[in-house]
Amino acid sequence: MSDQTVANSSGSRLVSSWGAATRSWLPAVILLLATIGIWEAVVRIFAISAFIIPAPSEIARSLVAQWGTLMQATLVTAGEILFGFLVSVVVGIAIALVIVRFDWLGRALYPLVVLFQNVPKVALAPIFILWFGYGLAPKIGLILVIAFFPVTLSMLAGMQSVDRSLLSLMNSVGASRTQILFRIRVPHSLPNLMAGTKIAATLSVIGAIVGEFAGASDGLGYVIQFASTQLDTALVFAALLLVSVLGIAFYYAAEVLERIMVPWAPKFSHA
Amino acid sequence: MRVETIRAAGGGRPAHIRHDDLISAKGVSVVMARQLVLQNIDLSVPKGSFVSLIGPSGCGKSTLLKVLAGLVNPTSGSVSIAGLSPVEAARKRMIGLVFQDANLLPWKNAVDNASMLLGIADKSLSRADLRARGQEMLELVGLGDSAHKRPHELSGGMRQRVAIARALALDPAVLLMDEPFGALDAITRDSMGQSLLEIWQRTGKTIVLVTHSIDEAIHLSRHVHVMGIKPGRITESLDIGLPYPRDLSVAEDPEFVRLAVQLRTMLRASHQPGGVS
Repeated sequence: MSDQTVANSSGSRLVSSWGAATRSWLPAVILLLATIGIWEAVVRIFAISAFIIPAPSEIARSLVAQWGTLMQATLVTAGEILFGFLVSVVVGIAIALVIVRFDWLGRALYPLVVLFQNVPKVALAPIFILWFGYGLAPKIGLILVIAFFPVTLSMLAGMQSVDRSLLSLMNSVGASRTQILFRIRVPHSLPNLMAGTKIAATLSVIGAIVGEFAGASDGLGYVIQFASTQLDTALVFAALLLVSVLGIAFYYAAEVLERIMVPWAPKFSHA
Repeated sequence: MRVETIRAAGGGRPAHIRHDDLISAKGVSVVMARQLVLQNIDLSVPKGSFVSLIGPSGCGKSTLLKVLAGLVNPTSGSVSIAGLSPVEAARKRMIGLVFQDANLLPWKNAVDNASMLLGIADKSLSRADLRARGQEMLELVGLGDSAHKRPHELSGGMRQRVAIARALALDPAVLLMDEPFGALDAITRDSMGQSLLEIWQRTGKTIVLVTHSIDEAIHLSRHVHVMGIKPGRITESLDIGLPYPRDLSVAEDPEFVRLAVQLRTMLRASHQPGGVS
């Protein structure tokens, strides 16, 4: 029977995938190392003062010297990001579900949610400090207002893109709205939702740092601000490096989550 | 009219002509967005028969199928399926639907997809019951050994077989199919048509097929209704006298060739708008 042939033999490709991955990463690694080398050379040759642009070696030295402080600050910031991210995802999903399930509430809520997106949320940071003090709460609040929107929007897009004829099939057997929501719309929205979640992960890092800038006594944002007032630019760069590492870590954690949650998606960005 | 449920299991029930109509549409008109989509359709589908609706795009053949399925309400006229309205019939699991897109759930395997609608229609069935029924239906459509494959591991034709299994799992009295093989290549299309004929003869279901393929309509159906455009209406009806069981070699039969010529002529005429209805 001619329709029973399936093109799905990835066995031989798996063998060479490591080699292919190395080859695809290699140019980026070479460029990075070259940039660091040139940076180091330029700073030394032109004797640029360390509080304007520290040499990479200077940053590394600062990183080692302040390791204990930096690690402690990293942990604090990572905790804020993780907590804020989780709250954003939960709230973002809840808003999307309410909008889709309850027509009336949805029509009331959706325009307000979109309108709220035009508020420059970074500017809310001082107000949150005023309301919630200097602890964890204002950072979580700030991450939430920054990061929930892509979650809500992506999940809505996924839930609303269900094929009409699939809905016809469901309606023909008398499926309820709740059944259609949880059996079809929610699982169908997962690939979109995970894309929104990755954006939220990145925004959560921004939210945490902005929250710490506005008022904190700990965390990498605080270290950056404190170090810059001391003209310890090497420490600023060291903290920046750790913030970036955190950002990458959270992004990849979200991607791993995606592979677990959406195993049926045909393919991913790497792999 | 008495509703007789026809079991899919075994049997090899011959599809003989019955004179009672399972579906009868009388004076059905549909107006959508101020356009007359269907005008005064009279259609009767005898129980156990295989009926095709063929016509140019825009003739409303898909809309007519949706009216029969209870998905579109006629503006005027009435439809009865074994004495019930289409919506009532659908709630009693008497209607199985197959569309051009298989619309399988990518997160479920073939057997769970096949039993998905049945699970919603009949909440009393256990997971094991559903699995067993899904497996039985996959075997009926020739996919018994692909039960655990996800849709992305199946070819287009296989996905459409799962969609047919999903419709049959409801044990419907009638199978309404809207260009089910329209997205498949010619060879796959032929073999799917042949499989559908075999399924029809084994289960004794009543089938209404929307198609734009002349060969498919003649190969499969007992009655063909030709539809015309502006407004959508049935312009001609043709009985296909070729004996069953038919296989693909039926296309070489002189009668097939004669019918194809006749149907082509009718279709050409149906492209002219207006006309008497």
